[in-house]
Amino acid sequence: VLRMTQPSTVLSIFAMFLHTTFGESGCTSADGDGTLGDDEPDNFDIDCFSQLDIKDPFSSLTCNFTELPPHNTNYTLSLCTKEDNKYTCDNMKKQEDAYFLQFTDILSNRDLCMFSETKRRVCRSLVLTQIVKPEVPFAINITYQREANEYLIRYRTPHSGKKYLEGKLMHQVAYRQKEGTWKIIESPHHHVRLLGQNLENNASYEVKVRSQPNGEFFKGTWSEWSTSKSFRTAREQHSRESYSSVVTITLSILGFMLCIVMIALIIIFWENRIKPAVWPNLPDHKKTLEKLCKKPKNNFDISFNPESFGYVHIHKVDGIRAKAELENFLQPSIAPETSLPEKFWKGSELKMIPAMTDKSNLNLSVTYGGIWPAEAPHRLPGTSQFAVTEGNCSSSTYEVCHGNRVPPQNSGGSNVSSAPPLDPSGQPSPELPNDDTVSQMLPNSEMRSSNNEEAYVTMSSFYRIQ
Amino acid sequence: NPDFFRSTLPVLPLLLVLSPVNSSSCTMENKTTEIRVKYENILIHDINELVNISAQNRDRCCKNKKHENIKVFFCNDTQEIESLQRMACNMLRFFHKERVSKAFRWKAAFVSCGTLQILKCKCEGHRKEK
Repeated sequence: VLRMTQPSTVLSIFAMFLHTTFGESGCTSADGDGTLGDDEPDNFDIDCFSQLDIKDPFSSLTCNFTELPPHNTNYTLSLCTKEDNKYTCDNMKKQEDAYFLQFTDILSNRDLCMFSETKRRVCRSLVLTQIVKPEVPFAINITYQREANEYLIRYRTPHSGKKYLEGKLMHQVAYRQKEGTWKIIESPHHHVRLLGQNLENNASYEVKVRSQPNGEFFKGTWSEWSTSKSFRTAREQHSRESYSSVVTITLSILGFMLCIVMIALIIIFWENRIKPAVWPNLPDHKKTLEKLCKKPKNNFDISFNPESFGYVHIHKVDGIRAKAELENFLQPSIAPETSLPEKFWKGSELKMIPAMTDKSNLNLSVTYGGIWPAEAPHRLPGTSQFAVTEGNCSSSTYEVCHGNRVPPQNSGGSNVSSAPPLDPSGQPSPELPNDDTVSQMLPNSEMRSSNNEEAYVTMSSFYRIQ
Repeated sequence: NPDFFRSTLPVLPLLLVLSPVNSSSCTMENKTTEIRVKYENILIHDINELVNISAQNRDRCCKNKKHENIKVFFCNDTQEIESLQRMACNMLRFFHKERVSKAFRWKAAFVSCGTLQILKCKCEGHRKEK
């Protein structure tokens, strides 16, 4: 029994030692990165990028030494995967100055290891989805949109339709005038627009495009620039713009001048034409009647002073008898409410309106010709003056004197203008009254010799009558 | 008998050593965000291609088989990762079925390996085919 106990004890202790040493955690090295053998710090300068889905289902890894190792040493670059405590490495192929490898698994964590001739291995970790370099865009197409005055730049990328990078790229468009500085536009889409107003007319431009992962999941570097595409801007856009600007300026100036002219016209014609039309004044009968008056001629002698007409040859007016009327005119003025009947002439209508006047204001003179009715002399007012306005006397013409004129003062009513005497029958007297008689017939009256009957009424007396 | 205990007691450590150790199948537990991001950006494209290939070869491998022998993979609640691991490991068995089209086998293996890689799982008792 003692012999069996001792070997079993030793065996169990040895098994426990192995279990703790070679546990599920696998083999571990002193540096803890899982690499086998002696490891050195990753001090080799190398630049790598991955290209996903370059040829379905393969992706690729390309590495370049930024600092070449000594020429006399042979070395091997390998892409290794740690699995089940073992390293599985794939050697990269050397193509000129670069190392290239195709693979399908982009999810695993990889290590890039360099093996030298002395069996020394230097490794550095790689995350293939963080060093993605997209493929170069191609098929740049530039279209000028005349209506919008824009240049539409469209391009294509090889990743369209592929698995991983479709819709996950940011594109950069560079354009410049010939030999000028580059200008950059970035877009996640497959097109950009250049405004025509920002470009020179009839000039030559060139455009190029490149891509980069947008950084949401895939990260990496810019692709190589695409081949440049040249285009020439339109020639007409400048002339069109200049033409439109000239038209705009011209119309603006004309409109401004028109406004100035309109304002000036309004100011000038405001009082005389515009305001009366818009706000017509209430008719003033005095002014209205004044307007009806004809202005006397400059040489027209208007005076009710018989002495001033001493040189005037007074013609006898036949058929007018004014003796009865003279008596009436010579009498003082009576109350104006004495109404006078209307008198009718042959074919005419004569209105007689009494006027409140006194001797000092006798400025009413009436001369008329025609055939009075039989009762006319009895009805004629004896003490009042009357104003005669024209009816529809076909054989008479009337003149109404200005009312503005101050009627001459009458001295006791003796200054009476001549008036043709009247028959009781109404027929004008054939006799020519003498000057005195005539002068007493009517105060401030005149005699006109003609078949045409004329009446002179001062506007001021007419105004007073009213 | 004290001699009996002295002889059998050291065997216990041996039992402890030789007893099967539960392998940690998946190490991506409680990292659902990282799993989802990798699925949405990488694995989903390969799964879509696998579905298209299987649609082209529908029922081809099941012509002469009875329906009750078809295995169905269930995704248990709160055991999504284990369910995915089980599915991926079972799908790896197609790789050796020569009756299945080569394109389907390769794509199925690719999806299985990608799934296990994202979940950081291993198949128990199976070798992962590359």
